[in-house]
Amino acid sequence: MEIFSGLLQGFAVALTPVNIMWCFIGCFLGTIVGILPGLGPPATIAMLLPLTFQMNPTSAVIMLAGIYYGAKYGGSTTSILLNVPGESASVVTCLDGYQMARNGRGGAALGIAAIASFIAGTFGVIMLMLVAPPLAKFALAFSSPEYFALMCMGLAMVVLLAGKSMVKALLAMLVGLWIAGMGTDLFTAESRFTFGQAELLDGIDFVVVAIGVFALGEVLGNMETREGVAMLPVPKGLRNLLPNVEELKACRFAFLNGSVVGFIIGILPGAGSTVASFISYGIEKAVSKHPEKFGTGVPEGVAAPEGANNAETGGAMVPMLTLGIPGSGTTAILLAAFILWGLKPGPLMIQDNPELFWGLVASMYIGNVILLILNIPLIPLFAQILKLSQYVLYPIIFGISVVGVYSVSDSLFDLSLLTFFGLLGYCMRKLDYPQAPLILGLVLGDAMERALRQSLMMSQGDLSILVSRPLSAGMLVLTALVLAVPMFRKANAWRMKAID
Amino acid sequence: MVKRILIAGSVAALVAANAGEVAAQGFKPTRPIEFLVHTGPGGGNDLLARAISNIVEKEKLLPVRMQVTNKTGGGGITAMSYLSEKKGETHTIALFANTWVNGPLMSKEAKVTLKDLTPIVRLVTEPGVIVVKADSPYKSLKDFIDDAKKQPGQLKQSGGSIGSRDNIVRQLLMKNTGTQWAYISFPGGGERRAALLGGHVQIMVMDPQEAGEHLRNGSLRILAQIAEKRMASLPDVPTVPEAGFNIPNYLVIRGVVGPPDMPAEAVKFWEAFFAKVAKTAAWKKYLQDNLFEDGFQTTAELVKFVDVFTEQARTVLKDAGVKIYR
Repeated sequence: MEIFSGLLQGFAVALTPVNIMWCFIGCFLGTIVGILPGLGPPATIAMLLPLTFQMNPTSAVIMLAGIYYGAKYGGSTTSILLNVPGESASVVTCLDGYQMARNGRGGAALGIAAIASFIAGTFGVIMLMLVAPPLAKFALAFSSPEYFALMCMGLAMVVLLAGKSMVKALLAMLVGLWIAGMGTDLFTAESRFTFGQAELLDGIDFVVVAIGVFALGEVLGNMETREGVAMLPVPKGLRNLLPNVEELKACRFAFLNGSVVGFIIGILPGAGSTVASFISYGIEKAVSKHPEKFGTGVPEGVAAPEGANNAETGGAMVPMLTLGIPGSGTTAILLAAFILWGLKPGPLMIQDNPELFWGLVASMYIGNVILLILNIPLIPLFAQILKLSQYVLYPIIFGISVVGVYSVSDSLFDLSLLTFFGLLGYCMRKLDYPQAPLILGLVLGDAMERALRQSLMMSQGDLSILVSRPLSAGMLVLTALVLAVPMFRKANAWRMKAID
Repeated sequence: MVKRILIAGSVAALVAANAGEVAAQGFKPTRPIEFLVHTGPGGGNDLLARAISNIVEKEKLLPVRMQVTNKTGGGGITAMSYLSEKKGETHTIALFANTWVNGPLMSKEAKVTLKDLTPIVRLVTEPGVIVVKADSPYKSLKDFIDDAKKQPGQLKQSGGSIGSRDNIVRQLLMKNTGTQWAYISFPGGGERRAALLGGHVQIMVMDPQEAGEHLRNGSLRILAQIAEKRMASLPDVPTVPEAGFNIPNYLVIRGVVGPPDMPAEAVKFWEAFFAKVAKTAAWKKYLQDNLFEDGFQTTAELVKFVDVFTEQARTVLKDAGVKIYR
């Protein structure tokens, strides 16, 4: 009942015209920020912070949160249409989303991304509302050994992301892990693989690699083939642009999978939406009846990661609101904003400011509806981009990529890195190396190494800490199962052949 | 004639009265000011810089705008080398923090130290608190140290990078008491706190603002405060020396620095300007809200302080087994 009255109070706050307006502004800005590669929600929120000093804190948090989850809706747009990941968590969406666009289902992919975002985003809010305090305790039970096991599970997904050759996939992953190791070592402050370049002290930004390998590699490869890709088919009529019934049916499990995985991983302060999107994609492929079709443009391959990416928002708000612990860059800035507005983030914030908590929860329900309404009509508009011919489209992709990478840290050095990774992506395409394992290694490598070393420091070098804790042991068993999936499949295929 | 003498006299008096100000106003900003920070949006110095530019704008303290620029990377090293390339520039200033002193000591790649730039003023010092979980058996810092003596290397502290205050305070305490406990680095503040609240580590150094809320909620206990004298908000908690451990008070500092060879009159202008900022009510409120302390130092004081501070960090980090490059 407490929840019911709280929610009622929240809607009373969120449904005032002023707050609906702020919610809309936040969602709108978020969508735009999400669409533009490079510039992410943390930078946008930081830039807008001074404007919020005069605002009522509840309205301000409603708007800033709108930017946060709105950006997740927008992030898939360029991934699907141009193979340019709009933000880090949208890399996985490129795999099947871009292929769908090439098959003439770009509009459908956008629609599925929007619907998955809506379902998972709403699921995240419901869970945030119902179970925030007990779940915060769960987040605290997670420590370095558990993170290590989680990252192992993520890395095991490589066997599912591999194309024809497992060896090539593993090699690509190793390169990713190596890149992740570059930069200043957190534990000893020594620099690794920086080649004396001060620019490499922080390692290589994930966005640079992802945009280079995916977007530029793709453009370079396509320019070579010339014929066949001059114009992508775009069906006429709104009805044909939106996902059809079969496509939505295929996504039923993916919606649920993305929602749950995204939310759970979102709660953990040391994981993040990129990890969540990889894991939900892997799960989707592992349980699929036609895993071989993944990567050729299946709708589930879009729905699962996009759902995970959006449910993560609700999850990340759990430790932020109940404990004052930020789980991502964006929540860290939101917490800093609370202090500037005179609120005290910490374990008592909900109790001290119920109208803020419930107002925020209610506004997130409204915001998700606003985003769905905002995004669906944009689909026909965005789909027109695909009609552009090569010599118009490719310079646009180049331009967007360069601007996106430059906007991350205003560094020309990053642009030379972008060129390098663009060429690497091209070579990988030519030699038939899958790009996703490289990104996977890069995303997980850093966190995984850190978690392992932290665990071993905790146990004074005793490896048994990794298996003696039930949570981490459980996840390591799951990892072993994931690794065994291809073998089961092969064995099964042989048996089928034998029967035939 | 009398009239003329009177006029001459009053002109002279006016000139004399303004002399002080005129000297400081040999330089006047004419273009937007680039206010450089080494953290990304939302980081400690970024928020401070935006708060300052907000106060400056509201109180109309500058005829031009202050534009915050983020040059992230290498824990301040990217921002420092960017600033060092602006030799003699008067319209670019930066906020520095501890990492501008410690970073170059530990990094082979660094080419610039704080001394190579032009320190202008110190603005804030930030006290810290040493905390344990509320259900921890340690009621005082001495309890913890005694236990650490009994089981060397078994107890754990969570914290940031090895050059951060968290680790420096630990090193100072371990050296003072001849004890050992482990230090586990986490990149984000959230993960550090989660490790303590989840019971995976026993002790942590926190900023008082964050600890205050957990104190009110009863989930944490403060053993000691790292401050010159007790903070007004924590009148009952002993400082580390009061708790019986006579270690030097290692400060977290933030201040303003200019590029190398900044003209003397520009340095004077900025020194006077930030002295004015530090006197505003809005600034005092900002310090209070964040539980920072007014650590204002003039240019002359700061230059001396940087030497002492660098030496302190070098000694402690060397003791900690960190490779020191300069």
